[in-house]
Amino acid sequence: MVGKDCVAIACDLRLGLQALTVSNNFPKIFSYGSQVHLGLTGLATDVSSVSELFRYKVNMYRLREERDISPQTFANLVSSSLYERRFGPWFVSPVVAGINQTDGKPFICGFDSIGCIDFAKDFIVSGTASDQLFGTCEGLWEPNLGPEDLFETISQALLNAVDRDALSGWGAHVYIIEKDKVTKRLLKGRQD
Amino acid sequence: MADRYSFSLTTFSPSGKLVQIEYALNAVNQGVTSLGIKAANGIVLATEKKSSTSLIDASSSSKISLITPNIGMVYAGMGPDYRVLVDKARKVSHTGYKRVYNEYPPTRILVQDVARVMQEATQSGGVRPYGVSLLIAGWDDGVLPEQERKEAEAEMGDDDEAKEKQVKSGGKTGGILKGGPSLYQVDPSGSYFPWKATAIGKSATSAKTFLEKRYTEGLELEDAVHIALLTLKETIEGEMNGDTVEIGIVGPPADHLLGYEGVEGARGPRFRKLSPQEIEDYLTNL
Amino acid sequence: MASLFQQSMPSTGPGYSFASAPTHHSSSGPRQHAFYPYTDNGGSTLGISGATFTILAGDTRSTSGYNINSRYAPKLFRIGGDGPENEGARIVLSVVGFAADGNALKERLDTMVKMYRYQHGKEISVHACAQRLSHILYGKRFFPYYVTAILGGLDDEGKGALYSYDPVGSYEREQCRAAGAASSLIMPFLDNQVNLKNQYDPASGEGLEKVMRVPEPLPQETVEQLVRDAFTSAVERHIEVGDGLQMMIITKEGVQETFTPLKKD
Repeated sequence: MVGKDCVAIACDLRLGLQALTVSNNFPKIFSYGSQVHLGLTGLATDVSSVSELFRYKVNMYRLREERDISPQTFANLVSSSLYERRFGPWFVSPVVAGINQTDGKPFICGFDSIGCIDFAKDFIVSGTASDQLFGTCEGLWEPNLGPEDLFETISQALLNAVDRDALSGWGAHVYIIEKDKVTKRLLKGRQD
Repeated sequence: MADRYSFSLTTFSPSGKLVQIEYALNAVNQGVTSLGIKAANGIVLATEKKSSTSLIDASSSSKISLITPNIGMVYAGMGPDYRVLVDKARKVSHTGYKRVYNEYPPTRILVQDVARVMQEATQSGGVRPYGVSLLIAGWDDGVLPEQERKEAEAEMGDDDEAKEKQVKSGGKTGGILKGGPSLYQVDPSGSYFPWKATAIGKSATSAKTFLEKRYTEGLELEDAVHIALLTLKETIEGEMNGDTVEIGIVGPPADHLLGYEGVEGARGPRFRKLSPQEIEDYLTNL
Repeated sequence: MASLFQQSMPSTGPGYSFASAPTHHSSSGPRQHAFYPYTDNGGSTLGISGATFTILAGDTRSTSGYNINSRYAPKLFRIGGDGPENEGARIVLSVVGFAADGNALKERLDTMVKMYRYQHGKEISVHACAQRLSHILYGKRFFPYYVTAILGGLDDEGKGALYSYDPVGSYEREQCRAAGAASSLIMPFLDNQVNLKNQYDPASGEGLEKVMRVPEPLPQETVEQLVRDAFTSAVERHIEVGDGLQMMIITKEGVQETFTPLKKD
C-alpha cells in the first residue's frame, strides 16, 4: 500500500495444507536490503525457495555493484526470474514494496506466477484472501496517507479481509517503510 | 627455441609471464592511437581513422561504437578483434543485464563483463588473446560528483552524518548512488583501469604526457573535445579533417536521436558520435 | 493472481450453452445433448439495517459470461402493497444470482404476501414474510431457485429488520449482508465499518486492556454513504458489477427508491 513518502506491506501468519493448519507463525514477507521488501503467497515450499533465491541474487547484486538494489530494479529481477520458469512456474504471487533511495519515491508492484508485473499506484493484493483484500483496500485506502494512518489502514484492510477467509489469519506482520526508517509491527488478530 | 615456450598458448613462462599477452600488447602498441578524456559533464573519445589508400570510403567504416545508449567504446590494436568484442559487449549488456533488470548496465559492470571476456581468452585452450586495448566511456544515473561534494560540504557541520554519507555514497569505484561520467581502459590481459584522461596505441606515451600537461580538474566537455583534438594533432600522421578523425562523446541526453517525441520521461542516448561536419567545426576553432 | 488459487471471476458455472455440450461428431454412438437450467447473471446486492430503517441496494447490471445483457435490470423488488406497482409496500426483496429464478421467486413471494392480506385482513409482518420466503426456497430443495435473497423491512417494534438467505432457504436476521458476485469484496468492508470488527477503543489501554468498540445502529446518512462506497469499490474491482446503483430505503413512511449511476466500463 502506498502512502505519502511511505509504503506499507503486510501479511498474515497462517501456513495451511488445505483446511489443516500446519503452522501459525509463517511470515510471508522478506526484506532485501534496508528498503526493499518482498511478500510471497502461494505454495509454501516455493515461498521458501523463492525467498532464498532472491536473497542469493540480491546479495550477488550487492557484491557486484557495491550498492543496494532499488525496488524498481528488484521488481524487474523478480519478473525475469519468474519468467525463466515460464513452463514450470514457481507457484507464488509476489508483491514488492519499497522506497527508491535515489528519488525518495514509494514503489509497489505485484506479479503473477510467471512474472507479469502489475505496477499499481495504490495497493497490491495477493493470496487466498485477494478478493476480500480488494474489497477492503478499495474501500479503506485513500491517497497521501501518513505513516501512522497508513499503518492503521493496511492493518484494518488485512485483518478484516483474512477474517472472511478461512484459509488466512492467525495474526499479521506489518512493515511501514519510510525513507530512512522501517517499522515492523506484529498484530495479534483473531486466533482461529 | 630454447628461450621459447610452446607447450600451449596459455602456459606461464618460468619468469611468470604469459608471453602471448605481451605479444598482444605489442599488437596494441602498434595500433593507431586512441584517447579519452573525462570532463565534469561528459567524456570524449577520439581516434584517427587511418587508411592506406584514398580509394577507401571513409564514411562507411567506424572505430568508435555505441554499446548501450549511455556507453561508447574505442580501441587500439586489431580491428577485427575489436568488432568481435563490440558484438560481445552489446550482447552481454542485454543477456547479462537488460534482460534481467530491464535497465542497461552501469559502466563499471559492462567494463567488468568485457574484461572477463578478454581474460577468458588468456586462460582458455585453443584461443589467443584479443589484440586490442579498449577505452570504454559511459554515464551512470545517480548522484553526480559535484552534487555529492556539495551535499558533503553542507553536512560537514554534523560530523557523524557527514561520515556516514561518505561511506554510503562511496568514495570507491561504485558506492550506493554514484553517478556521472566514467572512463575505463581494458587491456588484453583483462585488467582494467579507471582514468581521468588517457591514450592507447602507437603514440600513447607521448599523448599521455601531453594530456598530463593540458588536463585540469572540472573540465567542461567542450574543452575536453578541444584538448582531445590538440592531443591527436600531436600524434597524427596524415591530414586532420572530418573524415580522418573520429570523435564520440558522452554528454547530455541527445533527445533528437530518440526518433520520436512527446513521450514523458523518455530520454535520448547520452553517447553519440560527432558527424564529420561537427568535427570540422571543432577543427576550424583549433 | 487470484486465478491461481480459485475460480476465475466470470462464473464458469452452469448456463445455457451449446458450446459446453460434447461436440464430437463421430458417427458411432448416440449424439448427446445437454441442457443447463441455470445461468449466473452476476451483480451484487447489499442490505444494512438501522434503528428505524433498512436499506437495500443492488447494482443494475445483468451479465452472462463476459457479455452485458442489460445496464438496467433491477434486483430490488417491493413485496406486497397494492396492485402491480406494489403501492404502499413495506417489505423489499433483493435477489442476486440467476435473474429468471429471482423474478420467479419475487412473483411467488409477492403473490403470497398479497394473498396473506386477503386471507388474514392485515399486512404480513416482516418476520412472518421471512419465514414464508424460507419455505418457498426450501420447497424447491432439489431444484433450487439459483439466488441469494435478502429481505428487508421494519419489525413489529419499528426497528430495521434484515434477513439473508442461501439458495435453499437457510436464513438469519442480521445487521448487514452483502450477496452476489462481489460479496467477498464487500462483506469484510462491512464487517469493519458496520460491525466495527477489529476496531478497539483508542482510549482503552494496551494489550489485554484493550476494549473492542461496540457496534451500534448507524444513522441513515452514514449507511447510505457506506453503501455507495461499498459499491463504487466493488465496481472498481469486479467486472460483473456496475452501470447503476438502485437503493430502497424502508422507513415507517414507506419505501423510498433512489437510482445513482455507476461506472459503465
